[in-house]
This record gives sequence, structure tokens and C-alpha cells, in this order.
Amino acid sequence: MTQPSGTPNTPGRTRSPVAAHPVTSAIIAILVLASIFFALYVPLYASATPKVGDFPFFYFYLLIYMPVLGVVMWIVITLQRRLRPGSPGPGAEGPAGAGHGEVAR
Amino acid sequence: MSNVNAVTFTIVVVLFLVVTLTGFAAARWRRAEDMLHLNEWGLGGRSFGTFVSWFLLGGDLYTAYTFIAVPAAVFGAGAVTGFFAVAYTIIVFPLALIFLPRLWSIARTHHYVTPADFIRGRYGSRGLALAIAFTGILALMPYIALQLVGIQAVLTVMGVGTTSGNALIKDLPLFIAFLVLAIFTFVSGLRAPALIAFIKDTLVYVMIIVAVLYLPTRVGGWGHIFAAGEAHLKAINPTTGKPNGVFIPTSANSQLAFSTLALGSALALMVYPHAVTGVLSTKRRDIIKRNMALLPLYSIMLAFIALLGYVAVADKVTAANVKKANNAQLAVPYLFQHLFPSWFAGIAFAAIIIGALVPAAIMAIAAANLFTRNIFKEFFKPGADPRLETRVSQWVSLIVKVGALLFAVSLPKTFSINLQLLGGIWILQTFPSIVFGLFTRWFHRWALLAGWLAGMLYGTIAAYNVSTPTTSHWAGSVNTVWGHTYYIGLTAIILNIAVSAVLTLVLRVARVPAGTDETLPRQYTADPVDAPAPVPAAAVLGSEVRRGD
Repeated sequence: MTQPSGTPNTPGRTRSPVAAHPVTSAIIAILVLASIFFALYVPLYASATPKVGDFPFFYFYLLIYMPVLGVVMWIVITLQRRLRPGSPGPGAEGPAGAGHGEVAR
Repeated sequence: MSNVNAVTFTIVVVLFLVVTLTGFAAARWRRAEDMLHLNEWGLGGRSFGTFVSWFLLGGDLYTAYTFIAVPAAVFGAGAVTGFFAVAYTIIVFPLALIFLPRLWSIARTHHYVTPADFIRGRYGSRGLALAIAFTGILALMPYIALQLVGIQAVLTVMGVGTTSGNALIKDLPLFIAFLVLAIFTFVSGLRAPALIAFIKDTLVYVMIIVAVLYLPTRVGGWGHIFAAGEAHLKAINPTTGKPNGVFIPTSANSQLAFSTLALGSALALMVYPHAVTGVLSTKRRDIIKRNMALLPLYSIMLAFIALLGYVAVADKVTAANVKKANNAQLAVPYLFQHLFPSWFAGIAFAAIIIGALVPAAIMAIAAANLFTRNIFKEFFKPGADPRLETRVSQWVSLIVKVGALLFAVSLPKTFSINLQLLGGIWILQTFPSIVFGLFTRWFHRWALLAGWLAGMLYGTIAAYNVSTPTTSHWAGSVNTVWGHTYYIGLTAIILNIAVSAVLTLVLRVARVPAGTDETLPRQYTADPVDAPAPVPAAAVLGSEVRRGD
């Protein structure tokens, strides 16, 4: 349910893409959940200070969230594409390299 | 009210004519061999790429509610009941990324047109599918009405609505706008709003960029705007004896209301039939995902539009006008009228009117598809061929719009946002069946039906009982449960899920038949790119006649 890639049964593969790429899958799940959490957890940003320009922090935070969200979603989609069978280079994805490699793309 | 500005009026009329022509021309755009097929009329041939979908989904999701009701709520009550919409349009994208690609895949594999089609196939239950379709139509009505109320707000400020006591004459311009909408939807189907969305979005972007850069300079800068907003919201309302609203939600209850409203609305948006229609009209699975990264661009706009509520507070003339009219919905139109030169006010007004027409058209199409597929064909004419389906959908789209028009002219305008939120409460009750169904068949069809009923009843009664000193019923969409303030839709859906889960256990123990599931797990992630795009009409006809008999 929380696993956004949600591809449990891909034909012609014994292991699901999620099991095959645990690190990438975990990063995707974390990014998606984090982007929901940081918008819903209001105590985090419900204050007038620090003011950014003329904007109270509460309003500034929600405004700046949008472009950040766009970038995060783009990273998630790029990572998801790697989970799909037939996508370039599953071998190139070491457990350690899975993180920053994609982000840079 | 009869001081119509000729320049403003002319520009609005010209742009409206352009849109009308576009709406009719859309029938020829990406012309299909056979327009008389629900895949074509109702889903634009399921052929839209990233670019068109971005405009269509943007035009679909950002409605007159965005341009009129959200700033009106910010103007009237501040952060909790107004600005929550910004948080809501944030979380809707990560949530959609989890659910919608699966819905797209299964719908493409099985040629589902509506969310209730999916329910029918997944649970093998006509009753549950009927409940989903009924809820969808019920929830879309006030949403379409809200679009018309948005148009009405603009027309009122333009001075073209007369003060005649006769409702027909008073709302004549609205009727004309409505008639045009109805006819081009009838003729062109989903292609019309898809093509008009280009015009809409261009106008809206121009409007909002100019508004954000120019208006603050006219009323003393953002610092002054926020200060005025804060002062207004902290002032004690003489009628209620409480502050007008919340500037920053610092109390635990206001924060809970803020985040449950945001979460509930986001969950609701995903199961709104018009959103599903927009999603199913895309060509490939990837296109939906890509749009979840691109659509936040729109949400930045929404945030600024919401802030126009404070700009309207800061502008004394606008604030006085709104107070005199006693209708917060007029805040943004009055603001534009007062501070923009009349030619630009014309462009801005046209943007709002067209911005209401696009989603209204998509909603009417979605409601019509629900009726045709899941009520008419299911219960009245199982052998209906695609031609008949399309004909019925066309006519139902007209009837739905007439219903919405009656809503719009007969109900108090100030209720429009709450009415739409009531629709949100209703549509949320379809969430467990649809979205849980995308992941699991664990829930029993009759348990889901019982949960739906419980959620609908509780949500409606709870919303009815919300009162303020000035309004006895339907005064809002949050209430207090066990000392905490929540969005009613969210408490209703929790009740819904609890009932569904408990009854599922009972029904499983009792070994009540669970119905046949025509879907396969792998079909939820399928991406039939190379599949022959829309179904060949003959194949559908054959297979569905067989199923019907």
C-alpha cells in the first residue's frame, strides 16, 4: 500500500522489481511518504517567523514546497523507471550507488 | 449594478466567442473514424500525450473553486478553511503517484471508462458498482454548480446580471454561457475541454502572473497585505463574538482541521470521476506519472490565487464592496475590477469564466459516462452498442448540467464552497472500494457496500449538523469528535473502513460468495503501449453483448 512502485507480479521474472532493487524501492517509498508528511505535519511550519521577505514562514513554506515537490516527484519517477524490467542497466545498480546516481540524473 | 464597462465587457464577449468556436472545432481535432464511441466522445480516444494531458488535467483539477471559492475562504476565514487547499494540492501528487498509474493500467487493459466499471469487474458486483456510480453523479452535481456560481460571481461584478426579480432574466447571461457549454460538450465530447484548456491555461497564467506582480504594488506590498490579513482575521466578529478566522493555525485543533481537510480533499480528488476521466484519457502510463511532477507548477499558481484573498482585504475599496454585497465570492472579481485597467480586467474575467467551463464540461462528461455505463447499460439495456452508449451519454451530459444550473441559481451562493465540500465527503466514501480494490481483493463486496452506506449517512448528517451563530445548517465541513476538530469526510471514511473490515471478517466466516474478479495482478502494472489503442468497435460490441445476456 505504501509501496508506490507496486509491481509485485511482473511476468517472466522470478523476483519482483521491488525485491530486486530494495534500495531504490526504499528511496522511492521514503521520498513519497516524506513529501506527504512534511505538508501534513502542520506544527512544523505553523509560525509567523522567521519571515522570508515579507512572507510569514507559514505561507512561504507552502509556496516553496511546490517547486521542491515537482523536483522530488521527478526523482521518484526516474527511480521508478529503473525498477522496470528491461530498463537500462540493472547490473549497474550497486546497493550503495543506487542513491546518488539517480539523483544526479 | 448597471454600470457595465464597455471595454471589459467587449473583451470578455470576444474571448468567449473564441472559446465557443474552439469548442465546436474540437470535434474535428484528432478526428476519430467513429466519433460515436464512448472511447472517443468520453475519453478523447484515450490518446492524449504529456503536453495535452498537462493542460487537460490542469484545466480539470484547477476549477472555479480555485479562482473564486479558495480566495473567498481566505478572505473570509483565513488559513484553515481556505489556505488548506494549498496543502491539499501538494499531497495530491505523491498520493496520485501511488494510486493512479494502477487505475490507468487496469482500465486500459479492460477498457473501463468509469471508476464504477472497474468496481464491476473487480468485485463482480452490480450493486456496489451502482453505489459508486450514484455517488459519483451526486458528488459531481454540486461541483458543476460551483463552476456556474463562479461564473455568476464574475458576471455580477461586471454588472451584466440584472437585479430583476425574475430568476430567468436575472441570470440570463449565465444561461447563455451554460447553453454554449452544454452544446459544445454534446457535440465534441472530451475533445472540447481538452482544446479549450490551452486557451484557459494561457489566460490564467497571464492573469495570475500579472496579478501577483502588479497588485501588491497597488496596495502597499506583501508586508502590508499580510498585516491587513492578520488584523482582519484577528478582529472579533460582532455576530459570533469570535475572531473572523485563523491567520496561522497554531492551536492543535486548527492544525488538525487544516491537515485533515487537506488529506481528505486530496484522497477525494483521486476518486472524483472527472479526475479519473482526465487520467484515463492519457495515452501511456508514464504520462500520468510525468504529470505528477509537472502539475505542481499549477499549484504554485493556486497558492498565489489563494493569497489574493488577503490582497482583497488590504484593498479598502474591494473590502468595502464585498462587505456591501455580503458575498465573499466576489472578492477576487471586485479586486480585479478595482485595480486592473478595464481591458485587463476583461482578460482576467474571461480567464475565470473559461476556467469554470473547462472543468464543468469534463465533470458533465464523467457523470454522463457513469450513468450510461453503470446504470443505463447495466440495468436497463444490457445490449446497448457503443453508438447507443454515446448517444445516451450526450443527452445525459445535458441533463446533468441542467440539474447543476438549478443548484446554482436556487441555492445561496455563500454555501457553494461548503456544498462542494459535502460532495467531497460523499465521493470520499467510494475511496475504499476503488483504491483498496487496486491493491487487494481482501475486502468483501457487500462489506464495502455497507461501509459506503455508513460513511454516506454519517457524513451527510454530520455536515447537516454543523452550525454557526449565523448559519443553522451546512455551515462548514469540520466538526468535533471526542474533543478534536476533524474534516467530516475523514471521520466518515474511517467509519466506512471500520465497517467494511469488520463485515468482511463476518462475511468470510459465513462463506458468502465474494463474486468473480476478472482482473489479474499483472494487469495493474501493465503498459499496453503498442496495443491497438482504442478498442475496435466490433470487438466491444460482440463481447459486451455476450456479457450482458
